[in-house]
Amino acid sequence: MTESYCRIERQFRIMGGPASIVIDDASLRSDGHEALFNSLHSRLNELESRYSRFQADSLINLINLRAGSGVPTEVDTETATLLNFAAELWLASEGLFDITSGALRKAWDFRRGGVASPARLAECLPKIGWDLVEYENDAIHLPLEGMEIDLGGIVKEYAVDCVAALIRKAGATSALVELAGDVAAVGNQANGQPWRVSIRDPDGGDALLTLSLCDTAAATSGNYARTINHAGRRLSHFLDPYTGWPVDGPISVTTLDRQCLTAGAIATVACLKPDSKAQHWLEDAGLPWLMMKSCGNLSGPLLRAASHL
Amino acid sequence: MVVALQGAAVAATEGRNWMRPLPAASPLIKTLRGTIALLPAYQVLPAHGDAPPAFTEVGFRYSRYSEDSIDAERVIFGSSQRYDIDISQFWLETPVGSNWAVALDIQNDYQTGASPWFVGAQVDGEPGVIMSGASIQDNRLEVGVTTRYFWADGNAGFTVSHSDEDDYESVSVGADLSWSNESKARTWSASVSTSNDRVSPTTGVIPVFIDRENLDTQSGYFGVTQILSRTALLRVGLNYTYSEGFLSDPYKLNDKRPSTHERTALSAGYRQFFIAADGSLQLDYRYYRDSWGADSHTLELGWAQNLAHGMVTPYFRYYSQREADFYSAPADRSATYYSDDYRLSTYGAYTLGVKWAINVGDWVFELQGERYKSSGSWGLHNSEAAPALVDFWRGTVGVIWRFD
Repeated sequence: MTESYCRIERQFRIMGGPASIVIDDASLRSDGHEALFNSLHSRLNELESRYSRFQADSLINLINLRAGSGVPTEVDTETATLLNFAAELWLASEGLFDITSGALRKAWDFRRGGVASPARLAECLPKIGWDLVEYENDAIHLPLEGMEIDLGGIVKEYAVDCVAALIRKAGATSALVELAGDVAAVGNQANGQPWRVSIRDPDGGDALLTLSLCDTAAATSGNYARTINHAGRRLSHFLDPYTGWPVDGPISVTTLDRQCLTAGAIATVACLKPDSKAQHWLEDAGLPWLMMKSCGNLSGPLLRAASHL
Repeated sequence: MVVALQGAAVAATEGRNWMRPLPAASPLIKTLRGTIALLPAYQVLPAHGDAPPAFTEVGFRYSRYSEDSIDAERVIFGSSQRYDIDISQFWLETPVGSNWAVALDIQNDYQTGASPWFVGAQVDGEPGVIMSGASIQDNRLEVGVTTRYFWADGNAGFTVSHSDEDDYESVSVGADLSWSNESKARTWSASVSTSNDRVSPTTGVIPVFIDRENLDTQSGYFGVTQILSRTALLRVGLNYTYSEGFLSDPYKLNDKRPSTHERTALSAGYRQFFIAADGSLQLDYRYYRDSWGADSHTLELGWAQNLAHGMVTPYFRYYSQREADFYSAPADRSATYYSDDYRLSTYGAYTLGVKWAINVGDWVFELQGERYKSSGSWGLHNSEAAPALVDFWRGTVGVIWRFD
């Protein structure tokens, strides 16, 4: 195909990580790029300001500040839907995925390293449990002082879907969106080839696998970035909400779905389980997956499919 | 492990790659998707440019069509056994380059049994059937090739097909075009086809009175499919067909039909997906009328239920036909045109069936069964039932393999 098109790419930082948006412009008017990128930026900023726990005036922090006060916080439809999604995932994962487990961060400091003291953990654990949360009629209240919710485990993936949807709505048929390792491909590249996305080894080196994506999202969860070394072991930043201790699970899991949010949810829960249970979970979910087990070995249908090519 | 997405990774990357269609959603994924389905971000449909299939598909399907024996009280002479047909279909579709696809379709029908030769009067004055005798065996082989070109907003196909049996040969060519509007919410479809058939009946147990005849047919279709919402879709279409040549049935004694036949059909289909139930309601209606004075209504209602590994679709179809002007039983041979063929009579029919598709990796297994029953009194118009109205069973098994 010799049709000409223009590739426009933006790289920036949002939600504490790198972001990249590539749009192959075949249908957009040339003066439409800036307007589109501006709208994508403002959507991402809006999501960050509403859901980031690092922004003092975010909705999430308002909910957390009111913990134990008896004052419920009304939430909009979007937030309610994300909370419902989190609740559904909590149920499906038998409580492992719990947006209230963020309180455990007070016991663990993955930036500086160091193991949590049992006393500190004992203090945190009673404040964890989605089942404790009072949530009805689109109003939420955390009943215990010190309780917290954190939508960090799903908002980035949701943001990827939002950006992809806005791009589609603008009429573009060819784009790739990435927020810190979570990706959504809109259509193929303008030359008709699928988007190629490499999954790289966490320890550096070559691509483990190259995915060809068309209208598909890929999400990766892993504990490569933030870990604590303890007695020669690399402790995951994924914490078990029942014990408060890091999960001895996969180093990394990648899954594909048409939506980044669902792909990310499945990958995240897999990282909250030991290797063998993670594999069962991934098989039950039925999405294509790649897992780097705690021993460093790779497994999963994505790898098997790739090795036949 | 990170998904590397710097500029270089976006460009074609050497090395192992992976691309398969996403598997059918598991119950867990369906539940999760259902939770977020109403968010605006999940209501924007992928604006697909049309593209050739990403995979080669090979399929084989076998159907057994078996007509019930004719009511012995209605038979004046001959066997009460009717047709059985074994239908074997094979197809292969594969992409060629980035803009083309080629498909090969082969169908073989093997039929045995007897059919009504003519309708006469029984002793009690009621019409009865004289059957052809259980001697008919016929094999029909049809081979078709389609090439299709895809571009961003649509696709166009060209089909050539040839069908051959002992006493009938047909060659047809067709072209079709499908294109979408900018938002991809509306798709227009148009097609035209022409065929040239040659009838050269073989004389067996029953005598035939022609040697060789021709039939030319031209057909055109125009339709539009509109996405009404994220969960609803409406399709309407108009079909016109004109035939000229030998249109009678050479194996029926009392069958003389006009040498032209104009047919018009208006069809509409509606699909409504229900998120909570993970299934869709399928409603189809078709109105048909022709230059022989016949018209018909077809209404079909189905429910396509997604399952963990496939889909099951029970359906019900109702059909009502008003007879052709020159139909009577027994036939009136003094008229210019006459026929006692039950297919031209007034009647109603219903079909109850179920389709089941099972996905296992790159394979799809299909099972289908349906029961068809007809009666002169089930239609919207009252009439005396034609003595040879047919009831049948049809069972189908199929397997499809997709690979890249």
